Amino acid sequence: MSIASSETTDQRTSRNAPAPADSFETTFKAAHRRRLRQATLWRAALNVAGLALFVIAWELIPRYSTWINEVLFPPPSQVFATFVPLLFSGQILDNIRVSLVRAASGFGLALGLGIGAGVLTARLAWLQYLLEPLLHGFRSIPAIALIPLCILWFGIGEVSKTALIAWGAFFPLWITTFIGVRDVNPIYLRSAACLGAGRLTTLFLVVLPAALPFILTGIRQALSVSLVVLVAAEMSGASSGIAHMMSEGHQLFRVDIMFIGLAVLGAVGFLVDRAFVAIARRLFPWYQITS
Amino acid sequence: MLIAAERVSQVYAARDGTPNWALRDVSLQIRRGEFVCLIGPSGCGKTTLLHLIAGFVTPTAGTVSFAGAPITGPGPERGVVFQEYALFAWMTARQNVEFGLRTRGVPRAERRRQALRALERVGLQHAADRYPHELSGGMRQRVAVARALVVEPEVLLMDEPFAAVDAMTRQTLQEDLLRLWEETGVSVVFVTHNVDEAAFLAQRVVVMGAHPGTIRADLTLDAPHPRERGSARFAELYAEIAGALAGHHGRKAA
Repeated sequence: MSIASSETTDQRTSRNAPAPADSFETTFKAAHRRRLRQATLWRAALNVAGLALFVIAWELIPRYSTWINEVLFPPPSQVFATFVPLLFSGQILDNIRVSLVRAASGFGLALGLGIGAGVLTARLAWLQYLLEPLLHGFRSIPAIALIPLCILWFGIGEVSKTALIAWGAFFPLWITTFIGVRDVNPIYLRSAACLGAGRLTTLFLVVLPAALPFILTGIRQALSVSLVVLVAAEMSGASSGIAHMMSEGHQLFRVDIMFIGLAVLGAVGFLVDRAFVAIARRLFPWYQITS
Repeated sequence: MLIAAERVSQVYAARDGTPNWALRDVSLQIRRGEFVCLIGPSGCGKTTLLHLIAGFVTPTAGTVSFAGAPITGPGPERGVVFQEYALFAWMTARQNVEFGLRTRGVPRAERRRQALRALERVGLQHAADRYPHELSGGMRQRVAVARALVVEPEVLLMDEPFAAVDAMTRQTLQEDLLRLWEETGVSVVFVTHNVDEAAFLAQRVVVMGAHPGTIRADLTLDAPHPRERGSARFAELYAEIAGALAGHHGRKAA
């Protein structure tokens, strides 16, 4: 603010400038840009400082305090020392890849089934009435409660993990698509009908885009559910994957390995969410997604 | 006769299940090329009548026919312009206008050409690539008119299309609508509750009354367009419509 007002008074005093309106505009714009840049830098600096403070505290407290056991709370330098060889041997990347493939296949399956079921139950009243008691009943069962059964049925291989993740991710997708499609503004449907649109054209060009804000919310929820179920499934029986690496660390009493797993999960979850927002912004410029 | 409603009644169930007569025994005939305003207080069934012609609802009793055939549903020969929020928010102005061409399989390049020409007619070619949320209320309604007209309907059904825009914009939109009506020869059925709007636009004003919805008067306004809002003739038209609405000397047409 102070910059802008000082620029304004400067301009008022120097009346003899060749194009006063124009040069006022350029200085104003430059000042505005500078202000924006400073605000961005200030924010980024504080972000970094927060992280740094956290890491420093974590490094110093276990070392110099008597009330924290370093074995149970290894400092970042030690975690990092464990992390580097695991990274270069490819072990961590392999585990990340295995976990991501599991999460993606379960989520992908749920995406198709959930949106399909949502559209069908919202558009066909008889199907809705037929399925709603079942779907609402099943929706209340946490996916984690199905893990033992799933292992009995499908073993500890990929099938049981994909099935569990798909189960967990299906319900948020189904319910948000259902609500989005059910609540499409009738004026949209009437407009499409007056312009000669058939059922399929209406579905793909009108109903699904109109329901998209809801569907995107469902996708976001389903993504985070997928990660939760992935971890639970990998911890209760797997021979690879990030959460499996963590439960190995648990058995070996290696808290540093468990910390690496947590950091990876946090980073993956964060990046997946950011990627989702970026993709949604790019694909649907008319839809203003908030953060 | 382009549109004929024969003894049409439309009954809705009220919340407690009692019948609510939105329209009772209404008969109306509209000729090709006519500009008709339906005017009346809320609850007089003017929008219901428009929706019956559009084919959004089927009458409880009586028939509504278009060009001699009973209306069974919406169709591209009857274009509709709604009050607001009817443009597809996920499409640009051009894509909105292209929609009706897309449903009939017009090739991409031709679609684009026709859509741009339609936008040009409503003075919006510069806004072709903007999304509805980037347009003002008046601009949105221009796009809605372009979208309805691009498929060359025989009648344009307009449901209080300019009610949500400011008075200055409304006058411009009304003048543009008259110009398009004269250029294209399309018939217009225009629902409004605004006497000034009806007096400015219509060749014929159908005055409706509420509870139950009925036609109270059918006035022919034989003043030529464009009409001067400050003129004595305009004041007469205004008084005539306002009088019929108030239920006084409405002269019934045959």
